Amino acid sequence: MLGARLGVLIVLSVVAVGCAHYPLNAPRAASGDAGAGYRFPAMVLDRPDPADEIFVCLSFSGGGTRAAAFAYGALVRLKDIKIGRAGTRRAFLDEVDCIAGISGGAFTAAYYGLNGADTFKTFYDRFLARDIQRELALSTANPVNFTRLVSPYFSRIDLAAELYDGSVFNHATYTELAKRRRPYIILHATSMADGAPFEFTQDEFDFLGSDLGPFHVGRAVAASSAFPFLLSPVSLKSYPTTDFVIPPTVSSALETREMNPSRYAWARQRLDLMAGKDAKWVHLLDGGLADNIGLRSILRAYDRSDGFIAQRINAGHIKRLIVIAVNARTDPPEQLSRQERSPALADVFMKTATVSMETLSADTIDYAISRQSEREQAETNVRLCNERLASCGAEPFPSFAQDIRTCFVEISFEGLPSPAREEFLAMPTTFALPEQTVKRLIAAAGTLLDSSPSFQKLLRALQGETAPGVGLGERGNCS
Amino acid sequence: MRFPETREVRVDGVPHGRTNMVMQFEAGLHDVTLGPPWNFSPVAQKILLFNTAALDPYRIEFRILPPAAIPISPGSPP
Repeated sequence: MLGARLGVLIVLSVVAVGCAHYPLNAPRAASGDAGAGYRFPAMVLDRPDPADEIFVCLSFSGGGTRAAAFAYGALVRLKDIKIGRAGTRRAFLDEVDCIAGISGGAFTAAYYGLNGADTFKTFYDRFLARDIQRELALSTANPVNFTRLVSPYFSRIDLAAELYDGSVFNHATYTELAKRRRPYIILHATSMADGAPFEFTQDEFDFLGSDLGPFHVGRAVAASSAFPFLLSPVSLKSYPTTDFVIPPTVSSALETREMNPSRYAWARQRLDLMAGKDAKWVHLLDGGLADNIGLRSILRAYDRSDGFIAQRINAGHIKRLIVIAVNARTDPPEQLSRQERSPALADVFMKTATVSMETLSADTIDYAISRQSEREQAETNVRLCNERLASCGAEPFPSFAQDIRTCFVEISFEGLPSPAREEFLAMPTTFALPEQTVKRLIAAAGTLLDSSPSFQKLLRALQGETAPGVGLGERGNCS
Repeated sequence: MRFPETREVRVDGVPHGRTNMVMQFEAGLHDVTLGPPWNFSPVAQKILLFNTAALDPYRIEFRILPPAAIPISPGSPP
């Protein structure tokens, strides 16, 4: 009798875990405040936030624990660097307003967003020193989890998300992340359907008719690092909504495709997230597939009329715009061209998943530099024109609300001296690295910032300014 | 962005600065209007930005309405 009951219990348990389902994102309350949720703090035109004057964004690239440790090293160095004059000296890190994180870099970005200064006490042990891959393999081998994986609605990425959520992020949700106003953390994933970049922000979740607040940060990080073939996508539900008004910047973009194809594509992709009458699902893969350097969300905030950087520049609130890209890209010695036989299927899979990343990253960096120089050139043109006009007593030409100083810095292993350079560039992408390697990666980020001519020029300008934007007479990027 | 007074400028539904300044937007269609009070005309303008420059900007002009033409109901454009 007891055996029969036990048997029934086991069968019921197997059925129960076999019907496992990934956690669904919550629908957005119909009566909810349209401006609420995890967004960059709204700008008040007449009350500039002093934090906007020096506006700093960081981007943390993908690359597993290698990227996470390298990004952490950049945070450590920025924490130790003090800027400003005596009496107002503060850590450079305290000036950071936004961080975009991809895949491995998303771990560091999210952890710092949640824990602030405590990151420097706990992140190393909670993530960097761990063999996450082994833990994930053990979790998969667990008989209970093995049974859960039978369900078509539960896969390895959900186990990974549970692991990150519990043991790294302490079950924190976006509601908790929103308690720290800055830095604003933008975690990136890629929509599997159309390859579109997806950002874990309430602005993006609005198109899903969903509330990002109760969503677990660990699950967002799992989506950002769901490398194809190794892990399955993270799925989100898009709910039919009746009260969501498509933002004007999206509807306008759809009307002028030929004039601005990239803006059109962005708007089209936002609409593709929306459910019609029936619900639909968005399946998210590693953010690196659409942008492995994480700069695109920052550039969108600069370019789009509803972007939080564009707004603040036009309002004259930003005096200095600084973007630091922490790029853990590698460039291992190429072997495929040295073999006569056709590459194996595994090599084809891996190359298919990664080959476009490098091209996209290089294009994004080029675009960031060109956008920065365009703005500076425009300001110079207006200033020179007005100097000429003033010399003949004419009315000045209308100018920008504020001339801004811009600074773009990229640190990557390419900047290291040999043989460290070759060694780091050949490092694998994995979520398990020896402690010594992790420590060297952390130190490398500091070394690269200290040896970056652009970053050192920026520090000179920031140390000596009587007011932000004045500079010390140096010219060009980061002056 | 010409207007006889200094006034908030809203582009695509969000505040972006003040009148009589040069602003920067990406190419394409944009909705432009001003902040309150609602004593200006037109209510809003759709502009198509393309091939502009800081020294050759797209010029938008709003005019102040005479008191008799200002709408009675406050809080909404005329």
